[in-house]
Amino acid sequence: MELKIENTKAQMRKGVLELCVLSIISEKEVYPSDIIKKLKEAKLIVVEGTLYPLLNRLKNADLLDYSWKESLSGPPRKYYHITPHGQGFLSELMTTWEELNTAVYRSTSKNQ
Amino acid sequence: MKKVININLGGLPYIIDEDAYVHLNDYLDAIRSHFSYSEGCEEIMYDIELRMSELFQEQMKAKQIISMVDLEAAIEILGTPEEFGAESTNSMYEDPETKNQNHTKGGYKYIKTGKKMFRNPDEKVVSGVCSGLAAYLGIDDPLWVRILFVVGTFLGGFAVIAYILLSIIVPKAKTAADKLAMKGEPINIENIAKTVENEINDISQTIASLGSKKKV
Repeated sequence: MELKIENTKAQMRKGVLELCVLSIISEKEVYPSDIIKKLKEAKLIVVEGTLYPLLNRLKNADLLDYSWKESLSGPPRKYYHITPHGQGFLSELMTTWEELNTAVYRSTSKNQ
Repeated sequence: MKKVININLGGLPYIIDEDAYVHLNDYLDAIRSHFSYSEGCEEIMYDIELRMSELFQEQMKAKQIISMVDLEAAIEILGTPEEFGAESTNSMYEDPETKNQNHTKGGYKYIKTGKKMFRNPDEKVVSGVCSGLAAYLGIDDPLWVRILFVVGTFLGGFAVIAYILLSIIVPKAKTAADKLAMKGEPINIENIAKTVENEINDISQTIASLGSKKKV
């Protein structure tokens, strides 16, 4: 099978995306639009549709949970918050990210 | 003048132009089929509908009716299933499991896309065995298969018996899904729509040619 750069990029982004979503939710209770706004600013996602399946998966893995809240302007909204299990997951991911960061830096910088 | 349709999207009522309604329906169907293997399909669908509803709320303000332009703007923001990217059902660690689960569910939700042999009623001389066989074997022109059968008939007549047997055993491709399976094309909404469209074109052509014959 041909190796496509887009696939590799998407794979890389995916792991990082989980980390970022968990991190955003761990700060305070948020609803998807808040998350989307942050991720779009960071250029991590292009379309919003990417987020919903991810949230669903994290929720099913018991890393997140949500509660319904009435909204003034539209339909009721799902507000997401992190679970204790998710908190542990996040800190582990954070460590891995830092390790990877160092590892990538060390193995790709030429002046070692 | 346009016809409008009343819809309920994420629990809120909307009035939508008919053409935009059809487009919205197709869009949501495409997403649904994209996530049909995920366990949270219904919930994801609901979340997306809810968000769509919210986007309409923001866009509409004083306007009353959702038009194609409004819908396209919302789809632009949400993205098409292709743009959802890697974050679909084929995530790294779920992939092998979910696939197996779908198999063990005894074909539930799982659409077989393998080739099957059918008699082709659209391109038949006698009963469509040759053109069906040609499609099954991936031969572009059924003429070659027909020639083979005719030549076989003169070489001892076995081909006649084979033909009769095949026309009894092999089922006729009746539905659009049958016709896709006959050609080995994957059975999905787009392909079925294409097949149906082709059939409608064929019928209208037949009618047109009948009409012109009468005039002569």
